[in-house]
Amino acid sequence: MAYSNIFNDHLAHPRNVGELENATAVVEESNPVCGDRLRLSLVINDERIETVKFLAYGCPPTLVSGSVLTEMISGKTVQEASEITKTDLIDAIGGLPGRKHHAAALAIEVLAAALRKP
Amino acid sequence: MLQSLTKTYGNASSVHAFGQQARAAVDRARREVAALIGARQNEIVFTSGGTEANNLAIRGLAEAAQQQGRHVITSAIEHPSVRGVIEWLEKRKWEVTRLPVYENGIVRVADFKAALRSDTVLVSIMLANNEIGTVQPIREIGAFIREGRDASRNIRLHTDAVQATGRIELNVDELGCDLLSLSAHKLYAPKGVGALYVRRGVRLIGQNVGGHQERERRAGTENVPGIIAFGEAARIALAELAQRANYVKELRDYFEGQVRRKIEDVVFNGDPEQRLPHLSNISFRFIEGEGLLINLDLKGIAVSTGSACSSGTLEPSPVIRALGHNDELARGSIRFSFGKDNTKQEIDYVVEVLVDAVARLRELSPLNKTLVTR
Repeated sequence: MAYSNIFNDHLAHPRNVGELENATAVVEESNPVCGDRLRLSLVINDERIETVKFLAYGCPPTLVSGSVLTEMISGKTVQEASEITKTDLIDAIGGLPGRKHHAAALAIEVLAAALRKP
Repeated sequence: MLQSLTKTYGNASSVHAFGQQARAAVDRARREVAALIGARQNEIVFTSGGTEANNLAIRGLAEAAQQQGRHVITSAIEHPSVRGVIEWLEKRKWEVTRLPVYENGIVRVADFKAALRSDTVLVSIMLANNEIGTVQPIREIGAFIREGRDASRNIRLHTDAVQATGRIELNVDELGCDLLSLSAHKLYAPKGVGALYVRRGVRLIGQNVGGHQERERRAGTENVPGIIAFGEAARIALAELAQRANYVKELRDYFEGQVRRKIEDVVFNGDPEQRLPHLSNISFRFIEGEGLLINLDLKGIAVSTGSACSSGTLEPSPVIRALGHNDELARGSIRFSFGKDNTKQEIDYVVEVLVDAVARLRELSPLNKTLVTR
């Protein structure tokens, strides 16, 4: 399947790229099978995600999952963000081929780990 | 070719006049393709493409020779259409030696000599690699096999020349090969046609049976329009060979010079001299090839990558890994292929887009930034 316009837009213009000096949580995980890697930096204040940045290495779905996820969680409460599922993320991207779903799964895993930080 | 679709649309195996017109056109094409590689007309077997030619060559020879021995020598960087057939043989109790390549992407003749056994009956090594373009020492290997050939030891040499077709001079006698695979679309002809050169006197068992076409070596109605186009493309390619090769080499070298000047942390893959004139394979550190591919595609530039994602497997390019490079370099490799119709202005545009895309993807990459978890 061809990638969506949302996908191509995020690939050409990824949002919220980088790291945060004042981050309260920084988590990086990788997919050992294919080497994809995603790093998420968050500033959480009063149970709300104030700022978020990401870095990613891997196939385009991994880069796009990171970029779209940052837009989805920015400004949300920790509770709201923790309720986002892999399916929600794939829908927001405009769909992903089945064999690329692992990219969205990695993004959700990294988010969950970051939200668990005290 | 158009005429064969509208006027001379006969079946080349038919006896009537329409069929005979088609037969004459196919024979003309056969002469042109033979001339491109310095072969005789009756040594050319038309196929549906390079993959079928490789299948016919290896399976056809293996079947003919299996009473004499079941050992085959190949290289670690073959195209999937050879690699797959060799694995197919391996499952049928053939023993396989895969010659390594070194950092330059070329097999060593000394390794080949050391791999030869009393039961070796078949050698299949590509003429030039499809990802990095390195040209293999087929001439030396062919000469060595011919020197040692006698009644008791009759090793056959097959070379997959698909990537080299129309890019460098090909002469089957100079190469000393018994079989050689070609593909028409590499010569700007339509897809779906190829050929296998079979040296006179070489015993080959046809793998498509049920018809007398192609001297019993490939049953099935000939793709007459495709074959005619192949013949014409071969004629033009032979006439323009040196001119085209010089032109694309100039573009390629200019491109590589620009990349070297404008982008840091790049690795140029394969021997810089002993390679096809139209290919450039570059690994960009810290980034993955498919992200780069799609970014270029969005700007109208078509390249290919050794990234695992693109090939639909989990393993990155075995060719780049065979050079001794790590997964990161294999995943970040891109093949740029230049054609006779490309211009220097287009190269400038590619470099401009590439510089921008590489910078953006590197800014995004965690590989070149220290991780401090919190």
